[in-house]
Amino acid sequence: MDDSQYGKRNKRGDWAPFAALKPAPLWVRPLNLGNILHWLVSYVWPWNAFHMVTALLYWYAVVPDVETLKVIGWGWSLRLYAVNAAAVFLLYGFFEYQLYVRRGQGTSFKYNGKFPADNPSDVFWFNSQNIDNFLRSFLVSIPLWTVVEVLMLWCYANGHAPWLGWAEHPYWLLAMVFLAPAIHETHFFCIHTAIHTRLGYKWIHAIHHNSVNPTPWSSLSMHPLEAFLYHAVALWHLVLPSNPIVALFQLHIAGFGALNGHIGFDEVEVTDGTAFKSHAYAHYLHHKHFEVNYGGDQLVPLDLLFGTWHDGTPEGEARMNARFAKKRARLNREQA
Amino acid sequence: MPQWIDAGAANDVEIEEAIRFDHASQTFAIFRSPDDEYFCTAGLCTHEKVHLADGLVMDFEVECPKHSGAFDYRTGEAKRAPVCVNLKTFPIKVEKGRIHIEI
Repeated sequence: MDDSQYGKRNKRGDWAPFAALKPAPLWVRPLNLGNILHWLVSYVWPWNAFHMVTALLYWYAVVPDVETLKVIGWGWSLRLYAVNAAAVFLLYGFFEYQLYVRRGQGTSFKYNGKFPADNPSDVFWFNSQNIDNFLRSFLVSIPLWTVVEVLMLWCYANGHAPWLGWAEHPYWLLAMVFLAPAIHETHFFCIHTAIHTRLGYKWIHAIHHNSVNPTPWSSLSMHPLEAFLYHAVALWHLVLPSNPIVALFQLHIAGFGALNGHIGFDEVEVTDGTAFKSHAYAHYLHHKHFEVNYGGDQLVPLDLLFGTWHDGTPEGEARMNARFAKKRARLNREQA
Repeated sequence: MPQWIDAGAANDVEIEEAIRFDHASQTFAIFRSPDDEYFCTAGLCTHEKVHLADGLVMDFEVECPKHSGAFDYRTGEAKRAPVCVNLKTFPIKVEKGRIHIEI
């Protein structure tokens, strides 16, 4: 596919789409039913449908029976870790291999014209973004993802959380399924903004931001505290009346869904003439500019509300630069 | 008392490139702009103390090799997060093919 029909490449070799990012059509006035229906399809398919399928697979094929869950044990906990790690290895590894090792579509639709493997940097373990991100994912983030998962399942099994049945509460649980991506975006915005404070950034979030040019392995490359808080979104289902399958769905939106924002390509080519959208641009802009797009694609319009939304347009850039100029002036006054 | 220091041959810096120059425990970055003018700034990024001479120079900006923060090397102005604190700049002149900076 010819990416020049959909965007432009600058002097540095970085590609940006022509089309501006748009919030969910629920927040655009006047309401347009056609846009909402079109958006609803993309809301479900393919990513959230994928997360629901994996949640069901886990519940029926991986998670042990309730009696086992009542007592936290190394056996079933390590088994969950092994499955999580294997699933991440397969899913993230597939995109990493296809786009960054094989470089199957070259730099077509690639936001940053460079490949991290070509630019060793001492900011990373072993001077390698790939090795650093991979090790942090498998040694830090996935274990903490598993800790959240074990804690959540143990609470359900021991009656420490309201466990609703599908037969008795189908509409409520269906609503929870539909709300889960919104819960994720709200939770992510809140913790993300908190770790973008001066100290939070310096001691916690800087690790994730070392990957200015993110790849799939960057998705879960985090400080331990960030990794725990990020996956702890599933614990909201211990407070809200819910069900372990919905909670697993919520956890998978976080664990597997982190891939989306870090693919680094706007479109992933499947065949020569077909591709699917990655939905990575809003979060790519966050990695590039640091102080915009703390939430996601504005399913919940918190960046719009707080003035930190960058939609990729020159106007979005100007708004960001105006905020940056104020911050720069303040910090330079403090330094003087 | 400021003094002019010889910082090397003017031809050592390519257009849209930078070189590092160290003197008396200080480090500097010397830039040559697309219109063939020379500029000198403090050598380390104000964000995480990385040598800017290793960064990408494009037009009148230098991009830090560590986090891609950018400065206008003519004025030292921080242009893109995560850098917010401006770079110090130093007077520079070229005489008889040699670069001199005032420190």
